[in-house]
Amino acid sequence: MDSIQYIGEHLLPGQIGQLAALFAFISSALAAIAYYFATQRAGTREEDNWLFIGRSAFVAHGLGIFLVIGVIFYIMLNQYYEYQYVQAHVSSDLPLRYIFSAFWEGQEGSFLIWMFWHIVLGMILMLTAKNWEAPTLSVLALVQAILGSMILGLYVTEELRVGSSPLLLLRETMDAPIFRNADYLSLIKGNGLTPALQNYWMTIHPPTLFLGFASTVVPFCFAIAGLWTKQHKAWLKPALRWSLFSAGILGTGILMGGAWAYEALNFGGYWAWDPVENASLVPWLILLAGIHSNLIANATGHSVRTSYIFYILTFLFVLYSTFLTRSGVLGETSVHAFTEMGLETQLIILMSTFFLLGFGLFAIRNKSIPSPVKEEATPSREFWMFIGTLVLLFSSVLITGSTSLPIYNKIRQVFDPVFEGIVIDDANVHYNKYQLWIAVFISMLSGVAQYLRYREVNFGGYARKFATHIGISLAITAVLTYLLSLWINLHSWQYVVLLATCLFTIIANLDYFITFAKGNKKAVGAALSHIGFGVMIIGVLASSLNKTVISSDPFAMQGLFDNVNSEDKDFLKKNIVLLKNNKTFMDKYEVTYESDDTDKHIRTFNLDFKLRDEAGKVVENFMLNPNILYNKDFTKIDYTNPSTKHYLTKDIFTHVSSLSKEEIDPEFAKTVEDSLKYTPFDVEIGQIFALYDTIKLSNLDTAVVRTYQAEVLEVSKQGATHPDYVVQEGDLSVGAKVKVSFEDSVYYANPILVLRGQYLYSFPDKVNALTTKIKIDEAIFDRLFAPEEELEYQTFQVKQGETFQFQGHALNFTGFDKQPTHPAYDKEEGDIAVSAVLNIDGKYQAKPLYLIRGNRPFNLKDEVADLGLHLRFASIDPKTESMEIMVAKQTNIDRRVPLAITTDSPRSDYIVLQAIEFQGINLFWLGSVVMLLGLFFSMWQRRLEKY
Amino acid sequence: MKKLSVVLIAMIGVAIWLFATAADDMSTYSTFTDATMSGKKVKVVGQLSKDKEMYYNPAEDPNYFSFYVKDKDGDEKKVVLLAEKPRDFELSEQIVITGKMQGEEFVASDMLMKCPSKYKDEEIYIKGAQG
Repeated sequence: MDSIQYIGEHLLPGQIGQLAALFAFISSALAAIAYYFATQRAGTREEDNWLFIGRSAFVAHGLGIFLVIGVIFYIMLNQYYEYQYVQAHVSSDLPLRYIFSAFWEGQEGSFLIWMFWHIVLGMILMLTAKNWEAPTLSVLALVQAILGSMILGLYVTEELRVGSSPLLLLRETMDAPIFRNADYLSLIKGNGLTPALQNYWMTIHPPTLFLGFASTVVPFCFAIAGLWTKQHKAWLKPALRWSLFSAGILGTGILMGGAWAYEALNFGGYWAWDPVENASLVPWLILLAGIHSNLIANATGHSVRTSYIFYILTFLFVLYSTFLTRSGVLGETSVHAFTEMGLETQLIILMSTFFLLGFGLFAIRNKSIPSPVKEEATPSREFWMFIGTLVLLFSSVLITGSTSLPIYNKIRQVFDPVFEGIVIDDANVHYNKYQLWIAVFISMLSGVAQYLRYREVNFGGYARKFATHIGISLAITAVLTYLLSLWINLHSWQYVVLLATCLFTIIANLDYFITFAKGNKKAVGAALSHIGFGVMIIGVLASSLNKTVISSDPFAMQGLFDNVNSEDKDFLKKNIVLLKNNKTFMDKYEVTYESDDTDKHIRTFNLDFKLRDEAGKVVENFMLNPNILYNKDFTKIDYTNPSTKHYLTKDIFTHVSSLSKEEIDPEFAKTVEDSLKYTPFDVEIGQIFALYDTIKLSNLDTAVVRTYQAEVLEVSKQGATHPDYVVQEGDLSVGAKVKVSFEDSVYYANPILVLRGQYLYSFPDKVNALTTKIKIDEAIFDRLFAPEEELEYQTFQVKQGETFQFQGHALNFTGFDKQPTHPAYDKEEGDIAVSAVLNIDGKYQAKPLYLIRGNRPFNLKDEVADLGLHLRFASIDPKTESMEIMVAKQTNIDRRVPLAITTDSPRSDYIVLQAIEFQGINLFWLGSVVMLLGLFFSMWQRRLEKY
Repeated sequence: MKKLSVVLIAMIGVAIWLFATAADDMSTYSTFTDATMSGKKVKVVGQLSKDKEMYYNPAEDPNYFSFYVKDKDGDEKKVVLLAEKPRDFELSEQIVITGKMQGEEFVASDMLMKCPSKYKDEEIYIKGAQG
């Protein structure tokens, strides 16, 4: 195979990229070493030299990675499908705006975006971290070296490969017969981006989340630097602003994921305790614990050890979640997981390296870490804040434990091959049960601790004030809890407790901010975050406890399943059928599926929602437009998008869960079609004829016969259109417009018939409301287009202005049209075309066309259908200035329109809809955003603090 | 002993207790026989019987989709899912259904399908006549 000279491959970019990856790897290793010596030799003459080497190497590393990214974009933009990564993620019909999404859709691309952010953060550290530059960048460069090895794709031996290069050629990754063809490139096309990922969320969510992940490395670097240089206190201040930034960004990334799930996916929710969601939540929780521990350490000198531990753990859990989502170990338990890339071993090495580095160094330095001799006082803020950090850690341990179940199964299977593995029955029930209490503790602690003071030495003198404020807050909490319980359906006492504690933290933090901190700017961030947390959890309670599926039919449950408890929400049926133009009542809404539009591959359904008052007046009216996305050849539905009406207090969420059986099952559609009995009709245009529809009455042996009036309004001989018909050049299409009326309702059907080459394609049209389906019979072609060989032309030599007689018709040749148009004529450059204008019996006009194209004469005939006349403009004699006109008359014309009509075609103009009402979901979004704003605000406050 | 040590020990105790009780939320996949015996809501894992009928006609009932599943013992049962027919259902390799037996039918409220992943897809798309 090696001997094949492949045609059209572009190997240079790949070689440049692979070299750049290798260069970036080596320079990051060099940067790590140089910065190591810069740290070790700090204060000596050598320091500056090492710093210079470290900086240059890190910048070089950055350039190398940017080059790799640039090369990948280059080959993606040029669609070089010889590269596996391009073939897997790009296709010729992928809109340019999704090129970024396509880039980070794959494993290697997302590694690169992660490294990209590390470089950006590293550059900022280089410019701002002063004394901390050398130790922090030494650690960061080491991280980069190990991550960089993941994209090397170097073969150490035949089997042992280091990393998986994003620049491999397709033919290097698989062995397929197609590669025996030297010109294989002309045969392949790209896979493209999964339609599910072709939206703006995919453009913004991954880079934000990766920035969140990447930024956790900075507090980690500071923690290692602190341990390394034994400056156990000095690192705390610079680390804090970075961890606040990181928590803000990571939180934003996670929230965006939730918003994406809610807005664009159809499971109807923002959080599902999916392993991948958990994997990003856990580092965030530990980071929050780290921030609180850091605050304690700054204020009191306690908790330095835990600050180290939390920041190290945060980064380790980011690595662990990378391992979980990328090693393929999650397999069937998650929808997000990537499949294996053969990097398990390297990922484990990555985790163990930093685990050993972090905790090894911690163990060595443990004795030298200072801590106050005196224990925290029980009524002090630091004591309860510390308990809070432990609760956060506790929460993380629980979530991690359950999420790691697949790993537990794998390990157990090593020793016990018959062990089948256990799974969590219902993730929501399982996680909510425990995390509910975490939220209770967190909100209680974040309320109470705000009233307490750091380093409390005289609680006795403060107790009165403390008790008064707590007392008043509790009283307000009780009243509000009662009021909110009227709205939120708190069906068990645990929820009442959670609601109360959340309200308490909101009130306590407000109180603290107004009366204690007196608007002190430093207190803004904390107060905002805690209030946001409380509001967010209340939003979670409201949106999940008051969630109602309004598309379920309340009577559907009755008697269908004997021992299914009607309270059993799981068995609640969620779908409803909406017939086109039929009103359906859903909850208090009157819903009508009015129409649907197809644009390219997207079909959008227009649903009209009306809310009426008691007098029947419409008080509210809005449209929802859920859509579906067909695959390339319209054979199946690839994807559906929900549509949501947002109110201040609630959302109405809808999505199309299915179309009619005819539309999703072509075989069924064929069976139905084959079973239909069509009645043939031969009708004149304008003639009114009757259709009879026998309708069986349910439960009775009788039937009623309805009579519809039908009339063919017009027949078109070309350019007929139909929703399912894709025009191709050379097609001959005939369409009819048929009016069908019943009582006061009038409907129109536009069946068409297409002749393509030797094949006939019929596109019937339906009047769904009358279960009537109309086809055009092929006999129409012979009637509309008289076969040329049956026509007997007579030739006339005429001059302009002359009149001649043909079979009783007077034909006057009035002149020429130099800008001729003709239905069958497509103008081309260099054409000489002219048509003769003929006036017939003073009533009709015909314009046959004469054309010279490429020195060859052609003529295109014209017809006067009413008279059955066919006219050709055969030639021009320039000498005599006379034209040769050929005329033929068609005898025995049959102008009747042949149709085949059935009135038994079942309705297929319906959609299956799911509609859910989420109450108070805006509290969730508002609370989350406020909480994150609090974090960003705190960071902003500390951005210029000296250290 | 320091106060915080007490708190820490208490927390570790609670964690151990929680992990022990959490086992109730977890289970191995059941078979149809287990489901019939217990009568409880269980998770059954199996393969879709692609040769048997799959029935979904929303015009009759948009919340009734029936198909046949062969569990890991090779036992085949009719399954009724009280929801719409999911997209790409025919492609599924493995199915996990949550529900309980009702007579001879397994009535499922929830279903997870494992489909051949796009990333594993080793076939190359060959350009069609129209590119």
